[in-house]
Amino acid sequence: MWASGRKKSFNATATDRSNHEGLKGWLNPARYGWERVAYWLQRLTGLFLLIYFIGHIYETSSLTGGESAWNAMLQFTETLWGHLFLVLVIGTSTYHSINGIRLIFAETGTGLGRPGRPDYPYDALSLNYKQKSGIWVALILAAVAMVYGGNVLFGGG
Amino acid sequence: MLQERQIMRIHYITGLAALFVVAVHILMRLIVPYHTSLQFSNVIANYHNFSYAVLLESILVLLAIHGFNGLRVILLELRQKSSWENGVTIFTIVAMIAIIAFGTRTIIVANGLGVG
Repeated sequence: MWASGRKKSFNATATDRSNHEGLKGWLNPARYGWERVAYWLQRLTGLFLLIYFIGHIYETSSLTGGESAWNAMLQFTETLWGHLFLVLVIGTSTYHSINGIRLIFAETGTGLGRPGRPDYPYDALSLNYKQKSGIWVALILAAVAMVYGGNVLFGGG
Repeated sequence: MLQERQIMRIHYITGLAALFVVAVHILMRLIVPYHTSLQFSNVIANYHNFSYAVLLESILVLLAIHGFNGLRVILLELRQKSSWENGVTIFTIVAMIAIIAFGTRTIIVANGLGVG
């Protein structure tokens, strides 16, 4: 009786990709709250820092070419745009580090609170004041580090 | 092969360890005026210090592992297919080895052992 009421049998091999956003979905931090924004920034800063790391390894390899090669590299990096880029590196590395520490604690369950039934308006129970504070601390310290770094780079320190 | 939870544990440990060694690396640029610290003679003097060379090598290894494993995680989040996962894993391991080799060469040559 129950089987005859079925109009359509489930096909385990059929794939519905209509909700697959791919890279566009990955790049969109909206819709899911502050934790998603923090996740998005963590990924973006990580990629940026990886690119910087590879460039820095290449940049420092000019040492092996002697003083003239090193000075030529410094001419390229010790410029206004080079310093602004470094200030960005300082900010992204600070955010990535502090948010990463928050994530390590979250992975162990520290600071997430007790699980509960999702009730309207369905706010994430894990996003409590500790997690929000952690995200804000990461952002604020990144800004402070950028100001300090800018002072060292542009202030002749 | 390593389990994913073991890989993530390595990811967290390398991240935390890199934080400390990179902090020392940055502080070395601040003990004298920043622009003076970048002069060739000062930089080479740092590399000739064996402890500092070991510190640089540790930064290289820790950040290569942490960075390329992070890239692997990002790429695996985007797509899940057996051939893609195997390709990403192989690519990130090869890239990790390549960057460590290239950076180690710089450290060895600058340290004055004269290889390469």
